Amino acid sequence: MSVALGGHGPYDSAMNCKTAQAMLWLVALAVGLPVFAISAALAQTPAPAGQALAFDRSKGNCLTCHVITGGDAPGNVGPALNNMKQRFPDRKQLAAIIFDETKRNPLTVMPPFGRNLILTRQEIESIIDFLYTR
Amino acid sequence: MLRAMSLMAIFVFALIRPVTAADAVNPQADFKAFRDYFTKKFPNVPLNDFVNGPYSMDAGLRKQWLEIDQFPPYDFAIDRGKQMFAKPFKNGKTYGDCFPNKGIGIRQNYPYFDEKSGQVITLELALNQCREANGEAPYSYVKDEMASLTAYMAFTSRGKPFDIKIPNDPRALAAYEKGEEYFYTRRGQLNFSCASCHVQSAGEHIRTEMLAPALGILAAMPIYRSEWNGMGTISRRFVTCNSQVRGVPLPPQDELYRDVEYYLSYMSNGLPIAGPGTRP
Amino acid sequence: MRLRLLFSMTGLIWLVAATAATAASTNADFKAALNAAEAAENDAGALKNQWTTTEETLTAAKKAAAAGDFDTAVDDARQAEALAKASIAQAREQEIAWRAAVIH
Repeated sequence: MSVALGGHGPYDSAMNCKTAQAMLWLVALAVGLPVFAISAALAQTPAPAGQALAFDRSKGNCLTCHVITGGDAPGNVGPALNNMKQRFPDRKQLAAIIFDETKRNPLTVMPPFGRNLILTRQEIESIIDFLYTR
Repeated sequence: MLRAMSLMAIFVFALIRPVTAADAVNPQADFKAFRDYFTKKFPNVPLNDFVNGPYSMDAGLRKQWLEIDQFPPYDFAIDRGKQMFAKPFKNGKTYGDCFPNKGIGIRQNYPYFDEKSGQVITLELALNQCREANGEAPYSYVKDEMASLTAYMAFTSRGKPFDIKIPNDPRALAAYEKGEEYFYTRRGQLNFSCASCHVQSAGEHIRTEMLAPALGILAAMPIYRSEWNGMGTISRRFVTCNSQVRGVPLPPQDELYRDVEYYLSYMSNGLPIAGPGTRP
Repeated sequence: MRLRLLFSMTGLIWLVAATAATAASTNADFKAALNAAEAAENDAGALKNQWTTTEETLTAAKKAAAAGDFDTAVDDARQAEALAKASIAQAREQEIAWRAAVIH
């Protein structure tokens, strides 16, 4: 069943290309801007951004299936997402579930957000930042 | 060398055989397992009530539904379908001439496997074939006229139990199996099969919407859906399901869609026709 | 001294940025990326398993190219190719895996 993982290659290389380009632009911008402002912006890993991704129907859309404190009209196909830090002290484990839960449980109905390119790795990380506040 | 090859042949045969045995298509066994799954999962839902989808398993929704049904939003479709049935084509023939019993009270027999053409014939397909045979242009499969015609035909068949037959023809069995495979195959970027939602998650909610059980799910078709702001056919339901999981839908009445309708209707054998219906 | 270092670093950064600019994508890069993406999407079509997101990303790529933004166009085309390949992988996996979900 590992055939399904063939999709990883292009995903990673596409991301690397995009990240590299983004970094170049950041560096170029840095010249015209006070350096501290940039580093301050980067240091801030914004949970609100993760919340927007988690609630957005075209992105994480976690609310469709999970109860999350602060989200309106949630579904109940999956378990409620609370006490996340205690339940998933290992960040990598949570990332793996969001990336492709079918690897652990082939019959899960949870979409493989990473494998099917619904979310980028960065987006998954910021959703985890947000989930760790719940 | 020869020995090695024959050994290999035995080995390959041994590998293949149990697989084919386990995979042998057995519609009767599938039917029983399918029905048992839902009746066990929802012990409080009477069997015939499954055709009412979410209204069979949520008291609040059921109350709203009973209120809406005082003035059903699909009534106009039944009336229009009835008029269309009465009005002759340009050649003087009518829809009734294309169907057994003049098209009245026959919804429960569709889809059927046509041994002449070797394919599954749904009611929607038969209606357009009727139009074309009489020199009329086919209708869109998803709504409007097609929904009106099927609404009327379902209305005259209300209460009659689904009676889908799989003739002793390998092509019929193959169509059934293709339908089953389509039903359980995950597709679209969201990686859902029909079964992910309507078997595994039946009765649960996505946001505020309840996922209908697959058992009896086609019995109330066509439906007036608030979400669509109008009537929709079985074709419309399949097409929107595909898009919702971010899969490019097949053309309405594609062979695979007809096969999945065949499979799903067979799974509902014995359940009463309840169409046209309403859904949130 | 520090000021000089800062100036030379700034120069270096501009140099890097300029290199990036000259390495900008061309129409030919876009055509190549689009061909690859469309080939993969055709394969997904043969398996009756295209994704709406692949189609949308292909449309976005063509739109960007038409507007002369070849960097975006190439990025989108590559993303579309990755999506199409993921849909192909899904279809191949499901050829066998669907049976595990059947009610028995």
